[in-house]
Amino acid sequence: MVLAKVTEFLTIDPATIVLTLCNTLILFLILKHFLFDKVNKVIDDRKNEIAESYKNADEAQRKAENLAAEYDAKIGKAKEEGAEIVRAATVKAQTRSDEIIAEARAEAKGIVDNANNEIEREKKIAVNQIKDEIAQIAISAASAVAEKEIGLKDNEKLIESFIEHVGEQ
Amino acid sequence: MDGIGQGPKVVFTLPIFGGIDITETIVIGWLIIVAVLLVCLYLTKGLSKKPTKKRQIVAEMFVGFVNNMVDTTMGKKWKRYAPYIATLLVYAVLGALVSLLGLRSMTADFNVPLTWALMTFILITYHKIRAGGVLGYAKGFASPIPVMLPLNLLSEVATPLSMAFRMFGNISGGAVITTLIYSALAGLSKLIHLSFEIGGIGLNAGQLFIPAVLSVYFDLFSGCIQAYIFATLTMVYVSSAADEGE
Repeated sequence: MVLAKVTEFLTIDPATIVLTLCNTLILFLILKHFLFDKVNKVIDDRKNEIAESYKNADEAQRKAENLAAEYDAKIGKAKEEGAEIVRAATVKAQTRSDEIIAEARAEAKGIVDNANNEIEREKKIAVNQIKDEIAQIAISAASAVAEKEIGLKDNEKLIESFIEHVGEQ
Repeated sequence: MDGIGQGPKVVFTLPIFGGIDITETIVIGWLIIVAVLLVCLYLTKGLSKKPTKKRQIVAEMFVGFVNNMVDTTMGKKWKRYAPYIATLLVYAVLGALVSLLGLRSMTADFNVPLTWALMTFILITYHKIRAGGVLGYAKGFASPIPVMLPLNLLSEVATPLSMAFRMFGNISGGAVITTLIYSALAGLSKLIHLSFEIGGIGLNAGQLFIPAVLSVYFDLFSGCIQAYIFATLTMVYVSSAADEGE
């Protein structure tokens, strides 16, 4: 067995320094490339994703709030419109019913008037007919009863006074 | 006694430039690199935005821990330094903890902390020059009054040296103390007849439990805390060097 060469407890050995420097740099590159770069990338990606999803969530919430406000406004407007329609319909119905009633009244009045007129006319016709008949009867009676000669003037006077009397009776 | 007062063994010699000695330190460094590479590849296998695997959580915890450390000590714009700080942490912690496997601590070789301290020193100088220009960097040594020049120069050199010696002293001191305790316990066991020999292998009852407890401090705690201190000092020095010129 070859006895290993042993260095001094405290020496400065340039070869060891240079090799340790190389080793340290290699370890640095390994840690940087295989651990830090990879893990940092994943962590950054995750951070970005979380930020992104928060942003999206905020945006969605804002949108939802906007929509809710919009719908509220729309519903309010619709209610108002409905009330307006009901009110307009009520007014229209009122007007229409008033009109109908007025028309009916007018019609009824027309019918009554017509009826009155008719009655009046019929009455006149009847009176005239009666007058004519009475005149006829008087003439025929007079001519039959009194065989005496009467002038045309006297005749007429007689008839009229007769009719007057008839009317009074 | 084997190990005490000795540097790392030479594992083999490269037959170039008149023979370059490859010590235990370097070989252990390679082992750590391979182990870290495998662990990294395993941990980052199948990363997804919605983690489903435990290993991704572990990877993210570690990366998040270092990122957070760099963030709070250096600031947001220094995030690119996180892998370097992680390198120091991982290399220093694992380099110290290999002693638990019976290997020689990598950081108990003065050359290793010295290399890292020099790297930190280069970064400090680079950021000072970048922030204040060469002239501003030179002027910095003569501030606040020119009389301070020697003191400033001294403190500039003392920064990396103190960092290197702090780590080296702690880890190698721990190793020395552990070895001393082992030999002391062997002697003590023999003294109270609790030493047995089975087939040429000596068994000392006193060595069974006590070194494990002490190892928690000298290997585990010391190794981790020194790595943390080294990384923190690097962050503080480098970020304050960049702030100085502003």
